[in-house]
Amino acid sequence: MSKDLFSQSLRLSYISRVLREIFNLWNYSEIFLPTVESFDESLRDGLKMIYNDRVYLMKPDITSQLLFNLKVPSRHRFFYISEVLRGSISGRWQAGVEFIGGESPHLYVEVLSILLTILDVLNLNEVFVDLGSLKLWEDAVKDIKEYASVVFEALRKRNFGMIEELPIDHDKKDELWELFNFRGRKGPYEKLNEVLEALDDKRVFIDLGTIRFYPYYDDLIFEVYSPKLGRPIGGGGEYRVGAMKACGFALDLNALTQLVEPKFEDGRVKLSGNVASVYREARKFVLQGKGVIVDT
Amino acid sequence: MKVERNDPRKLVVESEDCVFYFSKPFDVPVYVEHGIDMGIAGSDVVEERGCDLFIPLELPFGRCRLSVIAPRERVVPVESMEGYRVGTKYPGIASRFFSSRNVDVEIIRLNGSVELAPIAGIADVLVDIVDTGRTLAANDLVEVEKVVDVSALLLVNRIAQKVKFDRINEIIHEIKRVTENV
Repeated sequence: MSKDLFSQSLRLSYISRVLREIFNLWNYSEIFLPTVESFDESLRDGLKMIYNDRVYLMKPDITSQLLFNLKVPSRHRFFYISEVLRGSISGRWQAGVEFIGGESPHLYVEVLSILLTILDVLNLNEVFVDLGSLKLWEDAVKDIKEYASVVFEALRKRNFGMIEELPIDHDKKDELWELFNFRGRKGPYEKLNEVLEALDDKRVFIDLGTIRFYPYYDDLIFEVYSPKLGRPIGGGGEYRVGAMKACGFALDLNALTQLVEPKFEDGRVKLSGNVASVYREARKFVLQGKGVIVDT
Repeated sequence: MKVERNDPRKLVVESEDCVFYFSKPFDVPVYVEHGIDMGIAGSDVVEERGCDLFIPLELPFGRCRLSVIAPRERVVPVESMEGYRVGTKYPGIASRFFSSRNVDVEIIRLNGSVELAPIAGIADVLVDIVDTGRTLAANDLVEVEKVVDVSALLLVNRIAQKVKFDRINEIIHEIKRVTENV
């Protein structure tokens, strides 16, 4: 148990309450997934466990778990707030959305709009979103397929020296260098430009060196970060469920607790008095949708 | 840029627009992962720590290797080390290495002077850095098999690379220029 469990819990509670309200306002319904799944190669992260001689996975990555459970592809707008284990017993709390079955570019713009709404409501002005594309890189290495894994490893490490050492012509290296270092608001990929234009938000950039290595991602990917934290706050991307396009993101709630100061003053009615009358009065207020604090 | 650290006990030194933190080598990747912009650490440490960071350059110094080491009189192939106790500062790398060879061993985590472990009888073999081999010879130890080559790496924090893009690229290019001819 964390020594700071209760104060951390208050912060997580505040953030998750705000996020739930936002997700509901965007018409996303909460999904409750099983804690334990039978082990499957398609499930990412999680903690392996053996029970009755069978292998299971506890608290895997939510998107992969959703795909694992969604046997018949159909249009959905889900959100979740859940703990995820990444190969160890200490978990991270995540909140995210998955929009399955939308059309391009509405799908991406909607998911990113939800993300930007969260940043606005939580007053996170110093948080940015970088968009990247897997397809752009897959196209770029089509004619040097034998070196594709080296190029992606170079991207993962952000080590262009690995590409410079490849026996490929200089024009190709120049093309990869341009992609590797492109950061701006209008890039060589119209799909990203269209999304950025629709969002019209100064916190969103195109950064083609941004890649997220989850096997289900299909093309558009994005990363959420703050200069105040050394690690990404979250990220997401586009994937496929059967023939349907889908897009989602996950935010690291433990990271958000380092950036968000909870606001607990929310206009609740303060009540006091003898036990019978004060709780009768409190019930009336709650039935009217008003919050109460009973001073005991 | 010149960095003067006159007092080795001083852990923070400022120079021009940079602040230099002198952490333990094993902690450098952790500092960089959690918010220090850049660092230099051995590839052995980076792999052992398994941190999420960028590695834009391999640097031309600190080259050595991580190897399986055994007392001279008990040298056997790695495949014959089933059930051995392996003393190491690198439990992650050692464990992955023996697993990849389907050899089940017990890993004993040590923090320094690992050569003592076989002498004291708490480990059968070691997984440790081999450079010149003089320490091994002095302790009657023999390198059995190389696990991985090691060199110094330049590390960059993932977020710093984004928010200090130009400055960090400038430093990377300058380090690359200086080290290219080494």
